[in-house]
Amino acid sequence: TRAFPADPKRRAITLTPTAVARVKELLAEQPGATALKIGVTQRGCNGYTYTLDYSSTKAKFDEEVEQDGVKVWIDMKAQLSLLGSEMDFQKTRLTEEFVFRNPNIKGTCGCGESFNI
Amino acid sequence: ITSKTLANWLPTASRRLLASSSSTSMSSGAPSAAPSGSKPLIVTERAFKRLQTITQPGEVLRIVVEGGGCSGFEYKLDLDNKVNDDDEVVENEGQKVVVDKMSLEFIRGSTIDYTQEMMRSAFRITDNPLADKGCSCGSSFSVKL
Repeated sequence: TRAFPADPKRRAITLTPTAVARVKELLAEQPGATALKIGVTQRGCNGYTYTLDYSSTKAKFDEEVEQDGVKVWIDMKAQLSLLGSEMDFQKTRLTEEFVFRNPNIKGTCGCGESFNI
Repeated sequence: ITSKTLANWLPTASRRLLASSSSTSMSSGAPSAAPSGSKPLIVTERAFKRLQTITQPGEVLRIVVEGGGCSGFEYKLDLDNKVNDDDEVVENEGQKVVVDKMSLEFIRGSTIDYTQEMMRSAFRITDNPLADKGCSCGSSFSVKL
């Protein structure tokens, strides 16, 4: 009863080393949390935006991605749009943010926070 | 796109707004005199604190308003080594936030904040009394005319 058939050899998303390091850092700050959960919500000028939260219980249809010792759970609603994406953490002196490089999206907001499919 | 090309690009109404504001600042003589009495910009303690950790000596946070983004206007934030004669400067313990006179007319009264969220930590321009509606990320806005 999966939302879509996944190739067991392939992860739903991949994390860059900087993203892994940042997820590790965030999870260390919140001892009760097992994973970071990626969701999607309707907001922004381009329709949707991803959300990030601490999570301790994996929901039935969450897709689990485990990489280099960190766990990320992807909410069912976010799975379709995220599939194949690369999660990166970019750091400049002015801004630090997670970005998703997504082969499926058609347009993004100037800041890259929202997108449409 | 620079402030000068922005002036050409703007619709007539906002061009009039710019023209009148630049003439008032010229006639008032002193470039630092705020025309309408209210604070030109509010910079939060968090923003100044963050600047303290990221800037090298002499660096300032520069805000520029440009045409662009999904809502017509866009805020651009950058670190700069130079303060110009026509800049409005907000200073606290040596940390400076500067904005050129032209851009200031679009953000007068706004708050400059630094927000930390799990997804994104960044400087933000909030509560712009002149902005009508903006992008959810706050990087662009449209002007009330």
